[in-house]
Amino acid sequence: MIYLDNAATTGEKPVEVKRAVLFALNNLSANPGRGGHKQSLSASEAVYGVRDKLSLFFGAGGPENVAFTANCTHALNFVIKGILKRGDHTVVSDLEHNAVTRPLKSVTDNISVAKVSFSDDEKTADNFEKAIRDDTKLVICTAASNVTGKILPLKKIGAICRKKGVPFLVDGAQGGGVIPINMKEMYIDYLCLAPHKGFYAPMSTGVLITEKTIAKTVIEGGNGADSLSLVQRPDMPGGFESGTVSLPNIYGIGAGIDYVNRVGRENIYRHELSLANYLYGKLKQLDGVLLYAPKPENGVFAPVLSFNISGMDSEQTADILNRHNIAVRAGFHCSKFAHEKLKTTDSGTVRVSPAVFNKKGEIDYLIEIIKKYEKNR
Amino acid sequence: MENKIAIGSVTYALKGRDVLRKNGYRVGIERKPSKNSGGCGYSLKFTGDLQRAKDILDRHGIKYKYGE
Repeated sequence: MIYLDNAATTGEKPVEVKRAVLFALNNLSANPGRGGHKQSLSASEAVYGVRDKLSLFFGAGGPENVAFTANCTHALNFVIKGILKRGDHTVVSDLEHNAVTRPLKSVTDNISVAKVSFSDDEKTADNFEKAIRDDTKLVICTAASNVTGKILPLKKIGAICRKKGVPFLVDGAQGGGVIPINMKEMYIDYLCLAPHKGFYAPMSTGVLITEKTIAKTVIEGGNGADSLSLVQRPDMPGGFESGTVSLPNIYGIGAGIDYVNRVGRENIYRHELSLANYLYGKLKQLDGVLLYAPKPENGVFAPVLSFNISGMDSEQTADILNRHNIAVRAGFHCSKFAHEKLKTTDSGTVRVSPAVFNKKGEIDYLIEIIKKYEKNR
Repeated sequence: MENKIAIGSVTYALKGRDVLRKNGYRVGIERKPSKNSGGCGYSLKFTGDLQRAKDILDRHGIKYKYGE
């Protein structure tokens, strides 16, 4: 299978990630932050070490600011529902994933949507600035669109938020580990991550990073602290880690960060973007192919590309590719906003998202198949 | 003399251990006693100046419950 659905989850994991997960299962199977026996303390040390790696990678200010959640969606829910009260005004981009828009909608209808320009980051930042009001309680934006790959100007938006005193939440599901994200430099107050994408880690562990407070948690339970109290304090990180964390996954995240640091985030990004760019150039030459964003230039787009074969439903195209052993994602990618922006709510799009392990020959094969069906459509 | 400082979570206990070690302390971590503890948690166990250790933890924003 040629796996090109890495924006959903990376299909191939580095050998060191697999080894780390197995090592954790064999040697660290104890509950961190609970017991006082050696195995529990070793597990706690291991988790703490990965918090530290994440803190360093994202300029988070310390391992105590890093919480492990069930996934990025849960992390976003913690922030959105922990900060906002019913009816609070919030600003979001028009490329947000449902992981942002659905929890937000459950809390408030008082939402302003800032348009993202594909070609002018100043314009995008200006749209955010205009949308922020005196009573705005939170600004949320994705680091990079999971449909178009567009990277948002986080530093510009963050600077506006800081100037206006509004907390800034970034959904780093697509950007974390792929594009540069530094919380301090970009004035990010809350960062949520999906390490199974950018760090090639196992699925089902997300990350919430913040130095700020969150007024309440939305999932209570045992967390190893204040056990005689029936009220759970929303302190980072334990206040957002009710129940047992997935130590094998967390240890795998640590190995994934080491992998990205060893190969070089910039090198990985350059490779993935070159494949997306190459594909874009070839598809652009085909009359029967629809593209929805400009050429994915360095620093402007993450390696995610949407297209359609004219006259074909995106699911039909993905099914044909699947029969040729090529894995891509069709449909609406859990993003009502992005597909409304692209005017693809009827057809959806076919999304191609290469990773570090993909090769140019695989893209050539994809192009060959697309050409065949594009001609005969 | 052996001192103990109780800390509510293992994350802060590990951070406390690291900052005290950087400041020349020999520090271990153990579960804090159940009696009068208010719940579960960990203790930093070390020899050396207790007040200085508390000051170091304060400077690093590490909350502790008591020193004994």
